[in-house]
Amino acid sequence: MDIKQKILLLRERLPEWKFLDELLVDSEAMLELAQIVKLQDEWLKHRASSLYIDPLLIQLKLKLLPKEALSEAFIKSWHPTAQVDQISPRGLEKAFVYWRDLQPMAERFKDEFGSYGTRPGLVDYDDLVNLGVFTQKQFETTLTELDDELLRKSNGEWVDYRDFLGNESYESKVLRAYLLAFLISEGRATLKTEPLTGKIWVRPLAEKSKALPKSVAVSITGDS
Amino acid sequence: MESESADRALLERKVRRAFQVLILQRGRNPGVKGWELKRYLGRDFRTILEVLGEDVAPMGLEVFEVKGADATDDSSRFLLRFKEAPTVSEAEGAGIRIDDLAVLAATIAFVNSKQARVARREVEQFLREKFPKWRVEYSLDRYVKRGYLDVDDRAMVHIGWRTRAEVDEKTLMTLILSRAQEASKK
Repeated sequence: MDIKQKILLLRERLPEWKFLDELLVDSEAMLELAQIVKLQDEWLKHRASSLYIDPLLIQLKLKLLPKEALSEAFIKSWHPTAQVDQISPRGLEKAFVYWRDLQPMAERFKDEFGSYGTRPGLVDYDDLVNLGVFTQKQFETTLTELDDELLRKSNGEWVDYRDFLGNESYESKVLRAYLLAFLISEGRATLKTEPLTGKIWVRPLAEKSKALPKSVAVSITGDS
Repeated sequence: MESESADRALLERKVRRAFQVLILQRGRNPGVKGWELKRYLGRDFRTILEVLGEDVAPMGLEVFEVKGADATDDSSRFLLRFKEAPTVSEAEGAGIRIDDLAVLAATIAFVNSKQARVARREVEQFLREKFPKWRVEYSLDRYVKRGYLDVDDRAMVHIGWRTRAEVDEKTLMTLILSRAQEASKK
């Protein structure tokens, strides 16, 4: 663009302008011309610098180079900064305030995940009915079916607890373990453990047990 | 004689202070601005930095100045950096990924060839011919965050202040051109 010619033209026309609006348009044109000069200046400086390489040439060279050579070129021209990371008293204070004001996990994710993050607790029969896992009728039917199955499989003898839970799926195992625990709590079956072997045995009871109930923790894993 | 040794003691104290100020990271970015150094060391901070430069040279370090936008003393950033570039095995040993560095090297060269500013989309398009899409996006974001690249509000990529501080761009461009010639000869 011929900047000089444009400026001469503006100067030539300047005496003709009488209104403020006309003069403002003129000054705007001057500003735009100045911007162009600035950009041209930058372009010239860049071309004159040793960093200027034809864009197409550099693209071609970059395509030709393997990644290893590119990173090697970088490393050879690299002067990493030397610094020491440390925590300042202010940073320490910020960390303390953050930790002090940090909400417990259960509170933090309440809005996002509902009850996610609550501690493990007890789920009783009423909870399951309320959650819609069972209806009362279904629960009693399933419990009776499991009781019958235990009677049938054990023939009054001890049977391996884990064998009885089966290996169908993790969900099925948990469900059967829960129902079995219910039978045991009700005194319709009993359980014994062998601490040395880790074996757990279960046996149906013909009559409801009147002995004092004891708690036994049994873990149910996906592969057991 | 007494005043001479007092001056020397003062200078030594100021040099020690300068080293501590430069080596300890304050805030997110390494280095200290000129106006801060003036506050810590006084108006003659450049003289102090010169002496410090001589002191740290045997350790393979140098005091480096990155000019600010208005090229004044106040806006310049001063930092300590390695005098010599590390070896490839040293860089690898520090856990730096070759692929990541290759993306950065290619981006710097590409941006410099385009008058030091180019649309991010164009950079990504170019890099995707050589690197997987996920690595391009991940690496660009990472290097913008670390100050090696800069992206303005119009999504134009510029060379970041950290590249100006740590990378000898002329050497990088020369090496890329010479290596490419070797590669094409093979």
